[in-house]
Amino acid sequence: MGKEESPQVIRRTTRSSATSTPNSHNLAEPTIPSNLQAMTLDDLTFGDEPISFEDLISSFPGRRIQVHELIGLMGPLNSPMIPLFVYGGASTGKTSVVLQVFRHLNRPFVYSSCRTCYSPRILFESILNQLLLHRKDAGNGYSSAKRCEKPSDFVNLLREALLTVVSNLKGDLGKSSLKKKGGRVKGKMVYLVIDNLELLRQWDKSATVLPFLFKLYDILNVPEVGFVFISSTSPDTYYLDTGYVEPIPVYFPDYTEDHLREIFMRNQANPKLYSSFLDLVLRPLSRITRRVDELSAAFSPLFKKYCEPLSDMRVAPSEEMKRRLFSHLQPHIMPSLNEVFRVSSKPSSEGKVNKEKAKRKGIAQRFGGSPPFDELEFHMSTSAKYLLISAFLASRNPATLDASMFDSTGGSDNRKRKRKSSEKAIDNKEMAEQELFMKGPGTFPMERLLAIFQCITSVAEYSLEEEDKATNGLGVESGDSGLMSDVLLQLSSLCNANFISKGGSCPLEGSTRYRSTVSEDMALKVARSLKFPLSKYLYRN
Amino acid sequence: MLKSFPAVSSPTQQNPKQTMGREDLAREALILLRNRLCNPRFVFSPFAHSPDSNYSKLKFIVSSSVTEASNNSVLLLGPRGCSKNAVLELVIEEVLKEYPDTISVIKLNGLLHSDDNCALKEIARQLCMEHQLLFSKMASFDDNTQFMISMLKESGLAHKTVIFLLDEFDLFAQGKQRLLYSLLDAMQSLTSQAVVIGVSSRLDADQLLEKRVRSRFSHRKLLFLPPSKEDLQRLLKHILELPTESSLPHDYVSEFNSSLLNILADERFKQLIDTLTTSDSTCSHLLKFLFSAVSHMNVETGLLSIDNFKAALASIQRQPKLECLNDCSILELYILVCMRRLEVKEQDSYNFNSVMKEYKSIHDSFQTSDYYSLNVCLRAFEHLLARELISFMDHRGHNQSIEFRPVKLLISYHELYQGLKSYRSCPAILQKLIDREG
Repeated sequence: MGKEESPQVIRRTTRSSATSTPNSHNLAEPTIPSNLQAMTLDDLTFGDEPISFEDLISSFPGRRIQVHELIGLMGPLNSPMIPLFVYGGASTGKTSVVLQVFRHLNRPFVYSSCRTCYSPRILFESILNQLLLHRKDAGNGYSSAKRCEKPSDFVNLLREALLTVVSNLKGDLGKSSLKKKGGRVKGKMVYLVIDNLELLRQWDKSATVLPFLFKLYDILNVPEVGFVFISSTSPDTYYLDTGYVEPIPVYFPDYTEDHLREIFMRNQANPKLYSSFLDLVLRPLSRITRRVDELSAAFSPLFKKYCEPLSDMRVAPSEEMKRRLFSHLQPHIMPSLNEVFRVSSKPSSEGKVNKEKAKRKGIAQRFGGSPPFDELEFHMSTSAKYLLISAFLASRNPATLDASMFDSTGGSDNRKRKRKSSEKAIDNKEMAEQELFMKGPGTFPMERLLAIFQCITSVAEYSLEEEDKATNGLGVESGDSGLMSDVLLQLSSLCNANFISKGGSCPLEGSTRYRSTVSEDMALKVARSLKFPLSKYLYRN
Repeated sequence: MLKSFPAVSSPTQQNPKQTMGREDLAREALILLRNRLCNPRFVFSPFAHSPDSNYSKLKFIVSSSVTEASNNSVLLLGPRGCSKNAVLELVIEEVLKEYPDTISVIKLNGLLHSDDNCALKEIARQLCMEHQLLFSKMASFDDNTQFMISMLKESGLAHKTVIFLLDEFDLFAQGKQRLLYSLLDAMQSLTSQAVVIGVSSRLDADQLLEKRVRSRFSHRKLLFLPPSKEDLQRLLKHILELPTESSLPHDYVSEFNSSLLNILADERFKQLIDTLTTSDSTCSHLLKFLFSAVSHMNVETGLLSIDNFKAALASIQRQPKLECLNDCSILELYILVCMRRLEVKEQDSYNFNSVMKEYKSIHDSFQTSDYYSLNVCLRAFEHLLARELISFMDHRGHNQSIEFRPVKLLISYHELYQGLKSYRSCPAILQKLIDREG
C-alpha cells in the first residue's frame, strides 16, 4: 500500500496527516520546516509545487466528479464564493481532495480541524495565527498571536486580519505582474477550511458556535473570503432551531468496488500479481466495509500470505500459478473476514506474525471452532489480574449468590450448590438472558469487590499450594496482606485504563458503584494466564 | 456530463499577452456573475424603487426620524433568506449618502452580543471608533452604560442620529433584556435622537419582550415575504443578464443574453424553478441555486445551458439519508434491516445484543452467506452510528459499553425501502425481508 511509501509533508501536522493517505503518492519531496525564516504570504498556500489538473484527477481515482465540482464552485481567479459544505463518509478523501485542489489552484487558504482545535478558543486562535502569519515558538513562549475567546472578539480580529491579508495579496498581485516569479500566491481571495465539523456538535457551546460559524460569512461581509466546511455527516444532521444560511453541499460518496480496485492498484510493485490477489479478496471484504483505511489494513497481511509460495516477487503469475496461489490463500480468507478490523498491537516482523498466525490456527483447531484465543497483549501485575477477575465476577453474578459461591472452603464444592440454586432459575432463563442483553454488566459497590477479591486470592493460594508445593507459588505467595496493600491503587488504575468504569452513586447507599467493562473472552484470557478456574465461579442461569 | 467540465485553469492562461479568447471572456463573465450573486445589495436593488416596497417604507421611517430629530424603533420580521438584511443595508447606505455627518451606525448581532455585558462593550467600542475616542477594554458594564447614555445625549444635542441595528433581535430578548431596556429607556428622553432597528426571523419577536421593554417600544413592524413568481422572474433576469456597457465585447454579451432569454422562456426551465420554489421559495435559496448553476457553466462555449440548471438543482436538492444508505456496506444493511424488524416487533428498546440475536435468527432461517463474527458486526454498527443512520436512545450511560446501550433507527421504513431498492447489489434476501415488513 502507498501508506508507507508516501512521503510525509511535514509543514503542518494537520496537512501531513491529510496528505499521507494512500491516494496521494505523488507528492513532492518532504520539505523541512525552516523555523528561522519569517512566514510570508506564500505560507498560506499548500507549500509544494502546484500540481497540474491531470495529476490531480489521476491521483484521486473515482473522485473525478467531485474534483470538477469543487473547482467549478471555487470558480476563476478572484471571484467570490458562497460557503461550501463538503460531506461524505469517513475515508472518502474529502480533506485530501480539498487540500490538493487548493494546491492545484495555488490559492491562499487557512486550514483548521475541529479535531485538533477542540474548543472555540483554540479554533479561533488557530485561524488567527495562520492568518497573521504567526508561528508559536520558544521566543513568544508558544503563545498565540491574539487572545480571543468570544465569537464577538473573533469577528473583529478576523475581519482585521482578513483585510490586512487581502490588501497584502492585492499589493503582491500588483508587484507580481511586474516581475513574474516573485509572488507565487494566486489571487486576492482567502479561503478558510474548517475540517471535522461534526465534532463541533459535541462541544459545550455548540448551540451558539455552530450557527455562528455557518453565519460567519454573512456576519463578516468580506467578499474576499471563502468558506469550506468539511464534515463526515450530512447537512441534515446539523439542523438547529436558530437556522442559518445553508452552504452549498458537495457530496463525496463512498468508493465503489471498481474505484477501490483502482486505488489499491496504485503503485504496486507487481501489478499483475496484486490484481489477481484483489480478484480474490476485494469482493468478499467489500461486503463488510468499503473504507479504504480498514481494507488496506486487512489486505497487507493477506497479501503476504498470498505471496508466501512465491520465490520471485517480480514474476507475472500464470494461470496455473494463480490457481496454486488461490488454493494457498483460500483457507485464510474466511477467518480474515472475521478479523478485518484487527490491528496488531505490536508492529512485529513478518516471521513473528506468521508464527502468531500459526499458533492461533493451532489453538483454534484445538478449541474446535470457537473464536481463537490470544495471549494477553499487555502486561499486568498478578493482583491487578485478580482484581479484574473479581470485578468481572461481581458484575456478572447476582449479589445474592455470592455467599454460596465463595464460602470458606473455596470453590471445590460449589458446583453442587450452583446446580441446586439454579434449578429455579431455569424457568425464567430467557428473561434473565434478555435482561443481561439489555442491561449489560451489573454494578457493584467496592466492598463487594474487595470481598470477592479476598476470596478468590485465598482460593488461588490454596490451590496453588496444593498443586505444586515444590515450586514456590506465583507471586501470591506473600499472602493476603501483600495483595491487599495496594489494592485501592490498583483499582483506581484499572478505572483509569477503562477496564472498570466508575458509575454514579447508588441513591440508597450513597457509595460509588463500579462496573466491569471487560468482555467474557477477555476475562477468560486473564483467568487462563493465572490458571484460575473462572468458569467454575460464573453463574450461568 | 463530465465532458462539460473543462480544466478551469490551464497553464496557458499565465500569458497575459494572449488575445482574449472565448474562455477568457467566459471567465470574465463568470467573475461578474459570481460577484453579483455574492452581493445582496446588487441583487435586491430593483426592488428599491417601487413605492409600496419595504425598502421605501423603511427608508421613510429612518429618514423622517433623521430630519425630524425624533426617536424611533422598528422591527423587520420575516423568514430567513428573505432579504431583510439586504434591504436594510441598502437603506442605510442610501441614508448615509443623503445625510452625511449626521448619522452614526452601530451594528450588533444577536449571535455575537446576546450577552448584555458584551453588547454594551461592543457599542462603546463602535462609538469610540466613530468619534475617534480611546476605547478602554477594562471599562465595566456600568461605565459603558453611562458612556452610551451620555453619548446619546451629546449626539442629540449636536443633532446627530445614532442608528442601532440589532440583527437576530430575538436573541437579545433572552435573559434580563437589560440592553434593550437601557437603549429604549434612553430614547424616551427629549434630548436623545436614536433609531433602533431590530431584525429577526421570529415573527413573534415583539412578544418576547418584557413588559417594561415592550411599553417603550413603538410597535412598528415590517413583514418580509418570499418573492412572488413575477418578482422571481424579474430577479432572474436582473441577475443573469450581462450588462451591455462593460469591458466585455458587445457580440459576446448579446449572444449570451439571447441564449439566456431562450432558457428563461423554456418550459423545462420553468418546471425547474417550480420544483425549486415548492421546497423553498426564499431568495437565499434561489441565489444558492443560481450560484451552483453558474459554477457549472461551460467555459468553452461561454454560455449557460439548461443542463447547468438541471445539474444545479440536483446538487442543491439532495437526499442525504438515501445517499448514506447507498454508501453502506452489505453487512451494515443487514444490521439496519434487523433493527427495522425489531421495531416492527414493537420491542420498545433494543441494543446491539438484541440486534445480533435477530441477525443470527435471520441467518439460521435463511442460511445467508453474510454471517460475520460479533466483532466485525460491532464495527459495522459503529460505522452506522458514525453515519448517523442510527443513534443511541439517550445520552445517559456514557460509561456503559456500546453493546448494551439502547439504540434507535433514524430513518423511516420508507427511506430504508427506497435505499435498498436503489442499492446496486442488494442481496435478494434483504429485499424480501423488507418487503414483508411493509
